[in-house]
Amino acid sequence: MKTAYIIQGFRTAVGKAPKGVFRFKRSDELAAETIKHLLKAVPQLEVSRIDDVMVGCAMPEGAQGLNMGRLISLMGLNTIDVPGVTVNRFCSSGLETIAMATAKIASGMADCIIAGGAESMSSVPMGGYKPELNYDSVKAGHEDYYWGMGTTAEAVANKYSISREDQDLFSFNSHQKALKAIKDGIFKQDIVPITVNQTYIDASGKRNEKSYIVDTEEGPRADTSLEVLAKLRPVFAQGGSVTAGNSSQMSDGAAFVLVMSEAMVKELNLEPIARLVSYVPVGVEPSLMGIGPMVAIPKALKRAGLDLKDINLIELNEAFASQSLAVMRGLKLNPDIVNVNGGAIAMGHPLGCTGAKLSVQIFNELRRRKQKYGIVTMCVGTGQGAAGIYELLS
Amino acid sequence: MKKRTINKVAVIGSGIMGSGIACHFANIGVEVLLLDIAPRELTDQEKAKGLTLNDAVVKNRLVNMHFGNALKSKPSPIYHESFARRIKTGNTTDDMAKIADANWIIEVVVERLDIKKLVFEQIEKYRTPGTLITSNTSGIPIKFMNEGRSADFQQHFAVTHFFNPPRYLKLFEVVPGPACSPEVTSFLMNYGEKFLGKTAVLAKDTPAFIGNRIGVFGIMNLFHVVNELGLSVEEVDKLTGPIIGRPKSATFRTVDVVGLDTLVHTSNGVHDNAPNDEMHNTFKIPDFINKMMENQWLGSKTNQGFYKSTTNKEGKREILVLDLKTMEYRAANPVNFATLGMTKTIDKVIDRYKVLVTGKDKAGDFYRKTLAAMFQYASNRVPEICDDLHAIDAAMKAGFGWDFGPFEIWDSIGVEKGIELMKVEAYKPNAWVNEMLTSGQTSFYTVKEGAKYYYNINKKQQEKIPGQDAFIILDNIREAKTIWSNADASIQHLGDGVLNVEFRSKMNTIGAGVIEAINKGIDLAEKEYSSVIIGNQAPNFTVGANLAMVFMLAVEQEYDELNYAIKAFQDTVMRLRYSSIPTIVAPQGMTLGGGCEMTLHADMVVAAAESYIGLVEFGVGLLPGGAGTKEMALRAAATFKEGDVQLNSLRQHFLPIAMAKVSTSAYEAFDVNILQKGKDIVVVNRDRQLATAKRYAIQMVENGYTRPIKQQVKVLGKQALGMFLVGTDAMEKGFYISEHDKKIGNKIAYVMSGGDLSEPTYVSEQYLLDIEREAFLSLLTERKTLERIEYTLKTGKPLRN
Repeated sequence: MKTAYIIQGFRTAVGKAPKGVFRFKRSDELAAETIKHLLKAVPQLEVSRIDDVMVGCAMPEGAQGLNMGRLISLMGLNTIDVPGVTVNRFCSSGLETIAMATAKIASGMADCIIAGGAESMSSVPMGGYKPELNYDSVKAGHEDYYWGMGTTAEAVANKYSISREDQDLFSFNSHQKALKAIKDGIFKQDIVPITVNQTYIDASGKRNEKSYIVDTEEGPRADTSLEVLAKLRPVFAQGGSVTAGNSSQMSDGAAFVLVMSEAMVKELNLEPIARLVSYVPVGVEPSLMGIGPMVAIPKALKRAGLDLKDINLIELNEAFASQSLAVMRGLKLNPDIVNVNGGAIAMGHPLGCTGAKLSVQIFNELRRRKQKYGIVTMCVGTGQGAAGIYELLS
Repeated sequence: MKKRTINKVAVIGSGIMGSGIACHFANIGVEVLLLDIAPRELTDQEKAKGLTLNDAVVKNRLVNMHFGNALKSKPSPIYHESFARRIKTGNTTDDMAKIADANWIIEVVVERLDIKKLVFEQIEKYRTPGTLITSNTSGIPIKFMNEGRSADFQQHFAVTHFFNPPRYLKLFEVVPGPACSPEVTSFLMNYGEKFLGKTAVLAKDTPAFIGNRIGVFGIMNLFHVVNELGLSVEEVDKLTGPIIGRPKSATFRTVDVVGLDTLVHTSNGVHDNAPNDEMHNTFKIPDFINKMMENQWLGSKTNQGFYKSTTNKEGKREILVLDLKTMEYRAANPVNFATLGMTKTIDKVIDRYKVLVTGKDKAGDFYRKTLAAMFQYASNRVPEICDDLHAIDAAMKAGFGWDFGPFEIWDSIGVEKGIELMKVEAYKPNAWVNEMLTSGQTSFYTVKEGAKYYYNINKKQQEKIPGQDAFIILDNIREAKTIWSNADASIQHLGDGVLNVEFRSKMNTIGAGVIEAINKGIDLAEKEYSSVIIGNQAPNFTVGANLAMVFMLAVEQEYDELNYAIKAFQDTVMRLRYSSIPTIVAPQGMTLGGGCEMTLHADMVVAAAESYIGLVEFGVGLLPGGAGTKEMALRAAATFKEGDVQLNSLRQHFLPIAMAKVSTSAYEAFDVNILQKGKDIVVVNRDRQLATAKRYAIQMVENGYTRPIKQQVKVLGKQALGMFLVGTDAMEKGFYISEHDKKIGNKIAYVMSGGDLSEPTYVSEQYLLDIEREAFLSLLTERKTLERIEYTLKTGKPLRN
């Protein structure tokens, strides 16, 4: 087996959906601009030597349909030579593509792949435009195949006795950590500034244009407090504990990394930043979707031949505070190394992009801390989980 | 003469009445400018934002706050939330000039002459000559308000007195000033009735006008009688409630809702300004009321008045009553009077009065005393406060929710008998009453050829009550025009071949008798007449099917009979659409369940604006089984467009059934596709509804009625069903609905999807009706459905099980 290296990675800031800063920016545009930025950082690489563009997307239809991966390649690389593919494993799609790229290169099927994810939840609704559920499965009692994620979050909160107070505190901390990270400029080097052009009807009823640059997370709220969070009403169950405040935000964003074979790294004289040591997706009970990482992390560690105590940093996607806490308690994760710069409750969760976005974040944070091993992990719809273990190289 | 048109109204003063009046003009399609004063001080919040008194948001703060509160209030002052866009707000500092293009300016500011005069001065400065100006004052004499105003102003000035809440209370008193032109008066009367949908009553400029003068006298007199007879609060409310055709809130509860201070204010006004009133002392506030005023026991607004809502030891809400002897609150005692027992078998309320006044107990005394006083008082007010006695009855019915006014009650007892009662109590009628009797006229009213006549004291003879040609009043025509009837319904010929099927079962529930009548009406129209209206003038069109009957058959497991009955209902409803004659349904008030299903299938709907329509079967554990579920599937299919996500539209048609949604006005019923634009219309004045329906029926016949074609309905089958099942499951898992709710929801989804067909398919209406009926019957075999029905029959409330 050959070794595949990650050379560089970037992401956009994350905008709120459906009424945030990227609401008139399509996900193919966010992706193309991120890729252009990525290639600028690796001037030695000729575009034609890229073997594939792999894009994770959880709702690949509508504005994200028609194999967005190929369209992003055309829009971002200024050549017809590089193909593109769209990959979907819901919330781990952006990590899945990095794993697939790594595997292809390791097996000798490719030398250079752009992998990541892009999602505009502003443009495609959760569940897609025309969901058509299998009546026979449902009638046979498998409604949980299609449950909304919030319903599963309530189920996890109930099964693992995660209190409302704990969920709200976790969420409050997510905001505080994210705000501090932004203030300290932690994300500066990850983020590709995106120019958004808006054509609109102004107060006088006339067509008008304006543009602005987005380079900062839109989600974190300085004005939130435990009191405010405590007042929010549960949205998925009467008497439940999951609120808009302790769930991840709907978001828009894109993130990509460049994965390369050892041979090409040497030829171009590049310095890799990391490698993906192992990646596993797993299946769990669909109604308890949120516990996915509880199964995925041990399995990924085992494949990597590592122990939890070897891990320096964890990016655990905060789909919901209830499932994040259930996973952290279930695996006895050290809270001090989990989501040190805040998570999706504060910054958002652009579904198919998230795996790649968290990867970009963890590379930079590991480097800042001069540490070696990091895990990116998330729960995945319809009862799945995924975890990837990175080793920082420089 | 130039026609007067109202395109825009300016309302000055945005308090509860001002905002309410603004909303009601918006209800009838008029553009409104609503103004109030700019505040003189900044709030802390405004200061924190760095705003000044010159910022527009500050200047319009009061008007926007009042208007916003009005829109949020329940019941809503507005027929449809979108109508609020017809109202623009502003402040009197900056925006008075905008009244120049208003056709009518209505003053609704605080009841202080000095302030009103300042407002009128401003209005005069900016208004366009020839436009109307009216005041909503409830008592300031017009001659004072006219002081200093131009001739044009005075010619166009009147009081137009709305009652709170303006949308719901029908009384509209028009009080022309001394210089007001007859054209203005007649315009206001006509506009009030035809466009605002009110009972417009012409009043003279006397203290408290008609409604409040008579109404407050009634209450004040009762305060004195209560003392005299030692009656309790709950006894009086029992005696003066529905038993005599008055609202459930009767007397004391009504005062609590209105506010004791408001009552005292009006009473003082009459006391101060009508010194020659023969009952002057009655308007003096009795001690126990003064005590309540001191204690701030004003009613709902101070959380206690004659009643007080508390939480008892078990944590349950308990309503206490004020004991007028001890002035302490206590639990209500059961009320029992032999006199009331005598009326148990008398269904028609008007027939109860003559029995009530013969009562041998305290209740009998109460009725004799209060009615005698009221008869004298009302007779003495003609012609003082209005020229025509019918205006007093109209005002009490429209403004105070009485089913019958003083003269109608007096007629029901007999005028002579009424005078006898008065003698005993040392009252006497006004001379014109004796004059009337002497001339051989024995009643205040008579009905001739479907029209109602009243005794005109000037002409000393019976005259037709004006304005009724625009109405069809079933009470007046029933006797002469009924061509067929059974125990539950009757059919009247409204003229020109138009038949009306009127329900008269208890609460107008739909059973075999009503079904028979509708079929008979259609049969008759197909053979000898031309068209059928289904309409009535009861408080509610119908509350739905006869549940008690359904329950009984279900408990006895008479499923064949149930199937037969439901099939008969479906067939009848389908006949409304597919018969060879035009049919019009005229819903008003509550139009629930089966009533809604009729509405859905008529060729046309002429709905009263105040129609509360919905398919509410879900609440009793059922689905609409009289073609309602079928029809909503059909209406959803009619919206399907190639390439659209058709499931979304189907879901929009599913939800109102699954949520048992009832519209809060006819306009809202359009939102949920129960009424349809281009086919169905809304009439603001309920009194005009049947006459309007009749005109349309004639027109449909004249235009050459074409029977609609039977439709093929596109149903989505399995493609839609999976989604519905998961939706109801998530609702259940979130504890929003019960397991039984889920079962019902899934049955509705099954019918509306056309069952579990493998692909979207065109099916006949009959196929849908059959699966609808099957689902309905299957739910009637469910214990939980039967529990729901039983509970609702017992309590009138839904059971969530």
